[in-house]
Amino acid sequence: MNIRRVLITSALVGATLLWTVTIGAMYRAIRQFESTPGRAADALGSWPASSRIPRAPGQWRLVMLVHPHCSCSRASIDELRRIIEKSPASLETYVVVYRPKEFPNGWEKTDVFTAASHLPRTHIVLDNDGHEASIFHGFTSGQTFLYDGDGRLRFSGGITLLRGHAGFNSGSAEVMQIARTREGNGAHPVFGCAINK
Amino acid sequence: MNENDSSITARAAQLRDEQLFERRKRIDRMFAVLLVVQYLAGIIGALTVSPYAWEGKVKVLHTHVWVAILGGGGIIILPILLAMLRPGTTLTRHVIAASQMLSSALLIHLTGGRIETHFHVFGSLAFLAFYLDWPVLITATVIVAADHFLRGIFWPESVYGVANPEWWRFLEHAGWVVFEDIFLVWSCVLGQREVVKSAMKQAEVEHLSEQEQLKSAALEMAMAEMQAAS
Repeated sequence: MNIRRVLITSALVGATLLWTVTIGAMYRAIRQFESTPGRAADALGSWPASSRIPRAPGQWRLVMLVHPHCSCSRASIDELRRIIEKSPASLETYVVVYRPKEFPNGWEKTDVFTAASHLPRTHIVLDNDGHEASIFHGFTSGQTFLYDGDGRLRFSGGITLLRGHAGFNSGSAEVMQIARTREGNGAHPVFGCAINK
Repeated sequence: MNENDSSITARAAQLRDEQLFERRKRIDRMFAVLLVVQYLAGIIGALTVSPYAWEGKVKVLHTHVWVAILGGGGIIILPILLAMLRPGTTLTRHVIAASQMLSSALLIHLTGGRIETHFHVFGSLAFLAFYLDWPVLITATVIVAADHFLRGIFWPESVYGVANPEWWRFLEHAGWVVFEDIFLVWSCVLGQREVVKSAMKQAEVEHLSEQEQLKSAALEMAMAEMQAAS
């Protein structure tokens, strides 16, 4: 009888400790995962000439790199939609969708791809093996570049506050501000899966 | 109060305690099952919504899946053990209430602060009211308010779905919880009164039955004595 009581008490004490530690660790793990930014782009100061994306003089360009299987990038696409809807109609947007050569055609057709293809005034560029991402010196899904009519880089970074969380944040606000007023420069941490790792 | 009244009252209190204990044991077990179901739902949800994080060409299990498996498992282990080993106790009820609210918080997080998932909190409070023990609702409310307050400061999107909520937003959420609590506390008090009333009736019936049995026994004894005398 005493042994049973000791076993029960030990199990309950152990479970209490596990319960307390788990709750703390869980909050910490989630916080760390979602607030740790990806590698920032070593973006060039001007439009990369070797890019497949066409550039017309005087035309502002918004380019986003996307890993189609990155679930966090759904939030980036949501934010991109908000930016497009609140920016001048002359702003051309390109979503560059990563596809490694090892994967078959159609691998990139995910909900992120579908959401991107439904964005207004947006062109989808299939990026075989991350070649285009390399040209832009971008490494993280959700990385966004805004180039002005002269091809100068005006914004580089992410447009979400955390990994996988859509909503108002200073990154997307800066892009909207620059695209609307055509003044200033900006940068913001980028949150998403790695491209070209 | 005569001797009969006090024995009826004492018996009624005993019956009330027994009825509440049995009821709460049953609800503890129901919650143990519910916690497991929610745990599995959290894992299935995480596997469906965001199964993998990608590092270029390499996919790894998403942190949300690990959180659902390990974090969710850690949340439910203590209440389930208590429900099995110490059912019906006050401690078990309060731990279950806290764990149920933590499960709500986890589900809210896994769905990216989706406002619809907040309904889980309200459903859980209603279920906790089945205990007919209103302090349990206070424990649940404190946990959910603390979670919203802390996450609202450090990490607002995971709980409200927006990045820049007003500082008082947690009070708005907690306010609706308190709104529900008012009615649930009231229902707990009324429910307890019903249990007391029914226990009192049962005690009175038992007392009357005992009195009848005593009278019958006395009558039978008197009849036997009369027969023996004649």
